Order: sequence, then C-alpha cells, then structure tokens
Amino acid sequence: MILTIFRLIIWMVIIPFLMGLIPLRMLPQNRQTVAVTFITGYLFSFAVFEVIAIPCMIHIEYGSFHYACRIYGAAELLLAFAGLLQSIRCVREKIYRETPAAEVRRISGRTLRRKLEVIFPGECRLDAEDYLNPRRDVSLRKQRYSRESVAYWGIFVLIMLFQMYMAFTRASFDGDDAYYVTESLLAQQANVMNTILPYTGSSTSLDIRHALAVITMWAAFIAKAGGVHATIVSHTILPLLYIPMTYLVYIQIGRILFRKKHEMLPVFMVVISVIQMFGNTSIYTPETFFLTRTWQGKSLVSNLVIPLLFWLFLWISRNMSEKTEWKKLSAGQKLEQISPWILMGLVNMTSGICSSMGVILGTVLIGTYTIVMLIATRRFSVMLGAFCACIPNLVYVLIYLSIWI
Amino acid sequence: MFGIFMESWIIYRQYCGKGFLPIIFLAALIYLFFTEKDRWKRIVMVYVPLIIQVAFFIPVTRIVFVAAMDDGATYYRFLWMLPMGVIIAYAGCHLFEKHRRTGLVVMTAVVVLAGSLVYRSNLITRAENPYHIPQTVVEICDMIAPEKGEPRVRAAFPSELVYFVRQYNTNIMMPFGREMVEAQWNYYNAVYEVMEKPKTIDTRALIAATRETKCSYVILATGRSMTQDPEECGLKFMATVGKYRVYEDPEIIKAESK
Repeated sequence: MILTIFRLIIWMVIIPFLMGLIPLRMLPQNRQTVAVTFITGYLFSFAVFEVIAIPCMIHIEYGSFHYACRIYGAAELLLAFAGLLQSIRCVREKIYRETPAAEVRRISGRTLRRKLEVIFPGECRLDAEDYLNPRRDVSLRKQRYSRESVAYWGIFVLIMLFQMYMAFTRASFDGDDAYYVTESLLAQQANVMNTILPYTGSSTSLDIRHALAVITMWAAFIAKAGGVHATIVSHTILPLLYIPMTYLVYIQIGRILFRKKHEMLPVFMVVISVIQMFGNTSIYTPETFFLTRTWQGKSLVSNLVIPLLFWLFLWISRNMSEKTEWKKLSAGQKLEQISPWILMGLVNMTSGICSSMGVILGTVLIGTYTIVMLIATRRFSVMLGAFCACIPNLVYVLIYLSIWI
Repeated sequence: MFGIFMESWIIYRQYCGKGFLPIIFLAALIYLFFTEKDRWKRIVMVYVPLIIQVAFFIPVTRIVFVAAMDDGATYYRFLWMLPMGVIIAYAGCHLFEKHRRTGLVVMTAVVVLAGSLVYRSNLITRAENPYHIPQTVVEICDMIAPEKGEPRVRAAFPSELVYFVRQYNTNIMMPFGREMVEAQWNYYNAVYEVMEKPKTIDTRALIAATRETKCSYVILATGRSMTQDPEECGLKFMATVGKYRVYEDPEIIKAESK
C-alpha cells in the first residue's frame, strides 16, 4: 500500500512537476510559480504521451501498450531529470555567484528560501520597499492577504477538499465508463490499445473516433506504473488529481482578472467552487461532468482545456495591452511574449488526447478569439500565433482522416 | 432553417435544465457588457462568449457541426465553450467589489438557489469498494474468472450488470454488453433477445443461445420468471450472490477445456 502510494506520487506529482521546470524558464517571471509549473508540467507530459502513444497504437500490432509504456516512461524520466538539472544550474548561476560558497552549502531555512525564489521567482512576495518604489508594478508580484481573505481561502480549500472526499467515497454511475474505463483496463491487462471491443471482449479494428483520444491509455500507464487496478485509478485516484488541478487553472484566471484587486481572488474562488457543486442543472453541463465523470476525456475538455484556453486568452490580451515594439525586445522578452502561444499549442495537444471533440472546440474557440483580437488590434501577429498554436490540431485531423478514409 | 433553429433552442433548453444558472449567466454577461471598462477583459469575458452564444443558435453552425462530427446529439457541447462559472463569479465580484462579505453571502445564496446540488443526483451512491462498482459484480466475477494462464471465459449477465463486469475483469467476455442495453443503438443479439426482452424467459431457448455463443456461465436475477428451472436443462447451480443466481454450463466448460 505505502509503496503504491509512493509510486503514484512519483508518477503523478513529482515527475510532471519536474518536467514543468523546463518550459517554466520561457515564461515571464511573475508566472514562474509552483502552480504554473505543475500545470505546464502536465501539459508537457500529456503532449509527450500523445506523440508516443498514437504512433505505437497505429504501427505496433502486438503488445503496443507495453512498448508505449516503456518509451513514455523513459521519456518522462529523462525530461524530469533534465528539468531538475536545469533548475540546479539556474540556482548555481544566480546564488553561488553572489553568496560565499560556505553559506550556500549551509542548510538553513534562509538559503533554502533563496534557492526556491530563484527557481520560482513568481512566488516572491512583496516587501515594504516594493510598495515604496514608484517604478515597481506591485500587481505583478504575489501580495499578502488580509485576515479576512485568508479566511476565504480557507473556505475555498475546505470546499475543494469536500469535493475530493466525495469523489473518493461516492460512486457515480455513467454508462460511458463501460467503454472508457474498460479500455484502460484492457491496456493494463491485455497490453492492447483499442483493438478489443470493450463491451464484449471480441477483437475489433481500430475505432478511430475514440482511439486517438488516448487519455484512457494514459490512465492505464498510471495504473501500470503505480501497480493499481486501472478502474481504481480512473474512479478513485484521478479525481484527486484533476479536481485540484482544475482549481489551479481557475486561480490563474483569477490572478489576471483581479490583478489590481487581489483581495477579491479568494472570493472569486469560493464562488467558482460553489458553482461547480451546484451547476448540475442538467446532465450536460461541464459542472456535472466535473464531479460525476471527472476521469473522462470529455470532462477534461470542458473543465480543464476550455478554462486553460481562457487563461491564455486573458494572458495574451494583457500582453497586447502593453504596447511593446517587437523589434526593441530582447530575445528573452520575445520568448516571454510568445510563451502563451507555445502553451496554447500544448493545450491543444492535451485536448487531442482527451477527445476528438476537444480538437474541434479548441480550434473554434481560438479562431473566434483571433478574429475578435484581429478586429480590435489590427495586429496580424495574433493570426500567426493562433495558426502556430493550432498546428497540433491540424496534424491530429490529418492523422484522423488518413486512418478514417 | 427555422426548424434547425428550433432544434438548437430545444437543445439549449435541455442543457439549461431545471436551474436558473444559465439565466444568471446571461444577466452576468449583460452586466459586464455595460460595466467592464478594461477593453482586453471585455474581449475575452464578453465579446467571445457573446459570439459563441449567438453562433450556437445560427443554423449554419449546427449544420457544419453535424457534418464535422457526424453526430447531432452532441451539439450541446458547443455550449461548453461558454465559461459560465467564470463569468458569473467575475460579474458577482465586480458588482460586490466594495462589499466583499455581503457579496460572498449573496452570490453563494444565488448560486445555491438557482442551481442544483450534484450530490443529490440519484446516479451518485456511496461507493461499495475502491473500484466504485457494485460489490455483487466483484463477487460474481471473482467466482467465475479464469485463473492466471487459463483461457478467458464468457458469461451472460443481466443487462443492469453488463456495464461493470469488464470494468473489473477483462478476462470475462460477454455475449452482449452495453451496446445492447442502450435503446438508441438498436442492435440485435440472440442471447439478449431471449434473456432480456421477454417477461418470462424460455429456459431452453436461453441455454441454446448461450451455448451457441459458448457461455460457460449464466447469471440470472433471483426473481426472474422462467419456463423451467435451469438445472433441469443442464446448467449447474453454483451460488447465490446478492440478488443473483450464478450457473455454470458443464457442457461448455468441458468443451472449452479440451
């Protein structure tokens, strides 16, 4: 049991988090936070899985899941290691130059805090002198909360924990599980990827409409890596990951919306979490999917992918509001400007592994946003960014059509 | 075109369901349209959702969607692109910016009254095990599942259990599964025809059908009316698990073990 929990934490928390350290460096400093690292880590991890799992599924006839697991597992470990090394190098470059070696090596709370601040500069909180400095934009840094706001944060965390507890202890019936969850279990028990009919067990050809949405195979990978039954992973363990991850995305949205009124952020989060619980006005709403079909790809599209796109739209819009001349920017600043578009590409890849519907919805949403932005700004760079971000969707559709036709 | 518009309207009504949250969402959108000063936030939080909302009702959108997805039943998912929760919460925070405490109470009360608690759904029950499937299924499957290295077995289950069997053990195959239970798919299956459709099962016809599909096991609900006792027709009673009686077919087991 303890070994299983340990393995699950390694594969579901630590490795994606360390992977998130790689794309983190291209983001603006205020976004280099622990939460964003976790989100980008998962986006990166899902994208890597898509690139590995789909070719394995299409080209390997026997034991395709076995090969996919081996390649993906090795890639994850390598990338996590690379992320760790990059952060160590970053800490060395910044701290070791400024501080005597003896002090750096000494293990103390202060040195540890300094090291973490180098890796996650977005977590640095404002000091009194920051408020006094007229040139400093305090809204870009994390600010301290009043006691009342801390209490609101507490309420939000309690609601979220309650939802996680309910997801763990309550079973929700959904007929689609007979397909999706069984696909994961088939991968774990028979090493196949979508070539056995989940309902009855007969052999079948690749069902292209569902096959490219390999999130079921990712759940099977976690089950195999953790040594847990795939159905337990889907129904009991994955909600404990997806529920807080979704709220992390909402916090990022809130941070942009309430940039200059940060005390409103916890209120916003409490209301969001209440809406998630009371949004069950019909069986079709994203809120219903969020707490009753948390593990399914379509739930991830409506509750993770779409909010992620809105977060990136807000971020890009904010960048657009600062009238910067591209030619005057340094290479690092240029990378910061295009970083949300790169993340959008990763979100599109995540969308593809969740559901083929996600690819369509994501493209329509990005297209709508781009047209509005184009009218508002008359900057064609928006179109270029959107087109590049949608390349994964284009490739996905081409693969879909090449198999389907 | 008007017919397609009406279809979209009905889908929208079904999507909105019993609560008033979608109405509150529209009110929030209108409120932000008039009060949000930040141009960039207006683009993301007002204009894009407004376009999506209007586009949903335009017949051409539905025609293109159905053509692209080859499925009109999932058109409601177009509405997933509307960030209802974010817009309601943001508009509320915007409105009660200077009265946070009152605002939080009012907003929470409105959401609770206008919405519907997900945990009150009759599809949610206390989990009987970590698999979140009925314990009866787990016990039946443990009884009939092949040992490691043995060939897979086939078992006929009542339709209310077919959803769960292969979520627990894929080494148990079934003559019919969920594809037969969902009425809209309208498939034919010989075992399903004799096992689930008639009020009283014709035992001989059932066993002929399960033997045809090489079912080593047959699981029947205890209260199910039958023309004959299955044991009189060659099945062997194994055990009663919960509300179900488990039978094995010695003829198929013998044939399969050869």
